[in-house]
Amino acid sequence: MNERISFDDQIQRNKIKSFLLIVIIFAFFIVLGYVISMILDPGYFFVIMIFATVFSLIYVVAGYYKSDKIALASVRAKPASKTEHRMLYHAAEGMAISSGLPIPKLYVMESEEINAFASGRDPKHSVICFTTGALKKLDKQELEGVMAHEMSHIANYDIRFMTLTAVLIGMVSIIAQMFLRSLWFSGGRNREGKEQIILIIVGIVFAILAPIAVQLVSFAISRKREYVADASGVKFTRYPRGLASALEKIKNEHVSHSDKEHKVSKALAPLFISDPFKRKVSGLFATHPDINERIRKLESM
Amino acid sequence: MIFWLIGLGVLVLLAFIIYYNRFVTLENRIGNSLSQIDVQLRKRADLVPNLISSVKGYVKHERGVMSEVTKARKEFMTAKNFEGKVKAGAQLQSALGSFFAIAENYPQLKANENFLHLQQELAAIEDKVAYARQHYNDSILGYNNLCKKLPGVMFASIYGKLAKKYLEIPQEARTVPKVEF
Repeated sequence: MNERISFDDQIQRNKIKSFLLIVIIFAFFIVLGYVISMILDPGYFFVIMIFATVFSLIYVVAGYYKSDKIALASVRAKPASKTEHRMLYHAAEGMAISSGLPIPKLYVMESEEINAFASGRDPKHSVICFTTGALKKLDKQELEGVMAHEMSHIANYDIRFMTLTAVLIGMVSIIAQMFLRSLWFSGGRNREGKEQIILIIVGIVFAILAPIAVQLVSFAISRKREYVADASGVKFTRYPRGLASALEKIKNEHVSHSDKEHKVSKALAPLFISDPFKRKVSGLFATHPDINERIRKLESM
Repeated sequence: MIFWLIGLGVLVLLAFIIYYNRFVTLENRIGNSLSQIDVQLRKRADLVPNLISSVKGYVKHERGVMSEVTKARKEFMTAKNFEGKVKAGAQLQSALGSFFAIAENYPQLKANENFLHLQQELAAIEDKVAYARQHYNDSILGYNNLCKKLPGVMFASIYGKLAKKYLEIPQEARTVPKVEF
């Protein structure tokens, strides 16, 4: 029972964190609107505040309900076909039975490398996406191992927090980049003083925010979270070797360089089972735990 | 003083409600996983006639094994209780195992698209049966832990909940049939 209680704890923590994140993002846009209206003209206060409230409401609600769709669209994933990807469906159905969760919607994305991610807001609205490379290179046991890992992200409500972070915070950083760039290029044009100041201030706010945002995204996936998912995934398959050898394959695969400039946005990277950018950092700033360490832990189970 | 007593009463009442709900949740989980096993066993039995008709033209001299499979299926279909179904399911499984072993000797059969498809489906169902059993036993474990540990054991005796039995798994269940993809 001990184990179960700690899982419940993690689910609770994930739900609270997700809620806090939504509140923070919401508040962020309101405050931003307030600052803009104060600088621009207090006369516009109500108009801008209404606009800011509506905007942040839409942003947050869309982020909550559509985050999985956004994540899937950003990697151009397609629904998996029941006939073509039968092995994937079998793995998902098997893991759904052994975990007692509903069967997630399955998607496939074009990529040569072995990878997968789960997304959604709760087990009933969950998706799992595999790369075509994973479907090609993994055998049945390995596929089940990876599937079980993703299913435990779903069971633990990791998906809600991780996807929300990626989508909400990731968007902030995209807006920030857009803003900074437009600031560079619009420097030459003449503007009225106040507008210019606002642009600069907002620009500076975002410039400070962007790196923090990226950091937050990496924190969304604590290394502990991955280890827990590995461990509870093994509880579903009862076969640690499957996931271990899948990780082994991921470690040893050589991805050509042209393939590296694929369409995975940096904000989404933490969702995947292994870092899609294959960054060689480990330690504090890594979004993923060291793969060797993961394999070692799986093998000692 | 009165205030504290009322507070204590509310807490006790809450504990009764919470534990009652937990028993119900875990019992439902057990029931649900039980029906999962049933679903998978039935799916397998439903595929057997297709399998028989797809191999009819190829396998003429193996009446013994084929009738073994049909017999096990019949037994499953007529089984009255769950125990009987599980037992017949295990028989069907081992019959299918020896059937697929024999099928190895028929290269034409192994080239048959339909047969291969059925073989893969049956192998996948095999896994799912095993996973369903595993989940069933996990659910029993969760329930029994609640029944036997403190403070659950007190509520269990009040509500008259007894620890449940695990599903016995025939030893060959996890390995047979061996199917090459």
